Amino acid sequence: MSEFIETKGLKKVYQVGDQRVEALKGVDLEITQGDFAVFMGHSGSGKTTLVSAIGGLTRPTEGTVLIEGNDIWKLNDRQLSNFRNRKIGFMFQSFSLLPTLNVLNNVVMPTIFSNSSRKKNADELKTKAISLLADLEMQRKVYSFPSELSGGEQRRVAIARALINDPEIILADEPTGELDIRTEREVIDIFSHINETYKKTLIVVSHSLTWLEKAKTIIVMKDGLMFKDVEDPVEAIMEGVCKQ
Amino acid sequence: MRILKLSILELMRRPKKNMVIASSIVIAVALLTSLSIVSDSANSAIMEIIAKTGHTLTVRPAAGSSSAGAGEKSQEYKLTTSEVVMDSYIPEDAVPEIMKNYDKAIREGWERKGGLVSNPGLPEASIEPPTWAPRLFEKAVVDGHEVIVTGVELRKEYFVRFWWNLSSGEWPAETDVTDVNTSVSKMYVIDSKGNVVINKTEYGVDSSGRAVASLGKKSDATESVKPILIKGWDDAYLGGTYAKARGLKVGDKLTINNTAFNIKGILEETNSADDYMIYIPLRTAQRLFHKEGLISLLSVRAMCPNCPVGDAMVALNKHVTGITAVSQLDVAGVQFDFFNMLYKFLLAVIVSTIIVGIFSIFNIVTGSLYARIREIGMLKAIGASRFQLFSIFIVEHFILGLAAGIGGYFLGLGMAYILNTLLDIGAVIQITPNFIWRALLLGIVCSIVAIIYPAYKLSKLKITETFRTQWET
Repeated sequence: MSEFIETKGLKKVYQVGDQRVEALKGVDLEITQGDFAVFMGHSGSGKTTLVSAIGGLTRPTEGTVLIEGNDIWKLNDRQLSNFRNRKIGFMFQSFSLLPTLNVLNNVVMPTIFSNSSRKKNADELKTKAISLLADLEMQRKVYSFPSELSGGEQRRVAIARALINDPEIILADEPTGELDIRTEREVIDIFSHINETYKKTLIVVSHSLTWLEKAKTIIVMKDGLMFKDVEDPVEAIMEGVCKQ
Repeated sequence: MRILKLSILELMRRPKKNMVIASSIVIAVALLTSLSIVSDSANSAIMEIIAKTGHTLTVRPAAGSSSAGAGEKSQEYKLTTSEVVMDSYIPEDAVPEIMKNYDKAIREGWERKGGLVSNPGLPEASIEPPTWAPRLFEKAVVDGHEVIVTGVELRKEYFVRFWWNLSSGEWPAETDVTDVNTSVSKMYVIDSKGNVVINKTEYGVDSSGRAVASLGKKSDATESVKPILIKGWDDAYLGGTYAKARGLKVGDKLTINNTAFNIKGILEETNSADDYMIYIPLRTAQRLFHKEGLISLLSVRAMCPNCPVGDAMVALNKHVTGITAVSQLDVAGVQFDFFNMLYKFLLAVIVSTIIVGIFSIFNIVTGSLYARIREIGMLKAIGASRFQLFSIFIVEHFILGLAAGIGGYFLGLGMAYILNTLLDIGAVIQITPNFIWRALLLGIVCSIVAIIYPAYKLSKLKITETFRTQWET
């Protein structure tokens, strides 16, 4: 039986001027459905590239990314967009909320690009968005604008937005970047709650060791290579020494 | 929420940048709209002249005779006398010859065409006889100001110039004064059908001092004719502008060459030399200025649609000496061609300006879109396809272009009125729905053309490339 998410011989090469940079050097990865996988490693280790390739954001130079047995990089632009919209909920630190939209509209925004959600009426979507926001303790900020929210609240809205189309995978790149310890813990707890309550498969990229407390799978990246099930991930990350 | 709402909100997010883009489009639309409105209105005015006078032929004394020409202007009334012939005459004796040649040419031209163009095969009998209207132009000093006094047969003149209307007063009675001797010795009166009603009349003077024809006999009748008042020999009609400038109204009197005239009517303004003249009966004018048997100009209005007036013009110029026949259609055609040439030149200038403007808009739009790279990356990541992204930009610029088109239309409308006044074009500004459609279309096209390339490039952008860019606040 194939894994829920599987990469085979995944390579990614960037050409920077005359220099050839190998961001991924043939990664074979398997993630089961409902997993809470945290990718850790130094900057430039290739973790964001790997997660981007899994999320259909960065086309790999070589290898395949199979989601439920289907190679996503064989899809055309429209199919790939639909895949991202339907299957994956993104939460990237850099992908902020739209300042012109209030919290509610930011949350329902992915539905305007979704064929299935478009068929639902506005009230239905609104109810779903408010329910998600309530679950994330944001019910009192439904009509606020992003500029009126704290960093932690903005993350919660981004999580609600990632969940609105009911995707099977939540992909988060540095979701707790630039947050204080307390808020970081709150966000991590929310992720854990999503994993357990909504049974979503979580893939998180982070530098923060706090994630290790809740992660089910820890994957350490170093120089474009992946190390899974390392004995002491903290040491591996800190020292850069990875043992299988 | 739909793409339309998202686009509107995004537009509102950058009011300053969008105002700059919209302003450029507004100017482009306004320029083209004002040119179109002025040009179409001027063309309509010319077409109206063609429609009015298209079947009118003007017979003047031959070239070489002294004529006021186009250059002569009265400073006081801005009188353009291109339609006026001075100090040069056609003897009335020549009129039958002119009429004969005209009729022959019309008939031959008609036969060659095989009947009415609009109704092929319609018999010649359906053609009404043409109306001939003579004019005598003379300068006179009235109340200390020089003015052109025009002798006309008012009823015929009114028939040829059917666009004439009175702003006040009334048209003359059924009969035209055909001969008046101001020393009151002999008078003729003919009716509207041209029959002599009274000849060799004896005259009298009524209690108010007006000439009265006493008993007479119709030349072809045996019964007596009751004495009638010969109305109209001292009637005067004024061009609208002249009356306004002199403050004259119906019922007032004016004196021309020591003869008193009663103002019977004021003509509505027609934007022609007619507005600046005084009209008195032709016979009265001939006597008053000692030009018996002479006329300055003869107009004929053919009474059939698509009459071969050009044929008549050629025939008259060829066969009748001492006259020049001019088709008003040709005169208007020359004006029309000139205006079209001017329009094309200005259009080329404006289109060039618009193209340059589109490049400016393109630069602003490109800068504006590149500032949104992160947002584009986010939209792509959450599932917006290339087409959907492209649609967002197109809808944004469609709305922007539409708004700019509306603004440009109203600005252009204002500019058209100002241009028309400043350049003294004299056209009556006519607004048709076409102008608004054109303005909206131009606004939308300018806006969308400027966005297509940057939108296409950005919609193709790889999501990971957007990571390195700052988020626009």
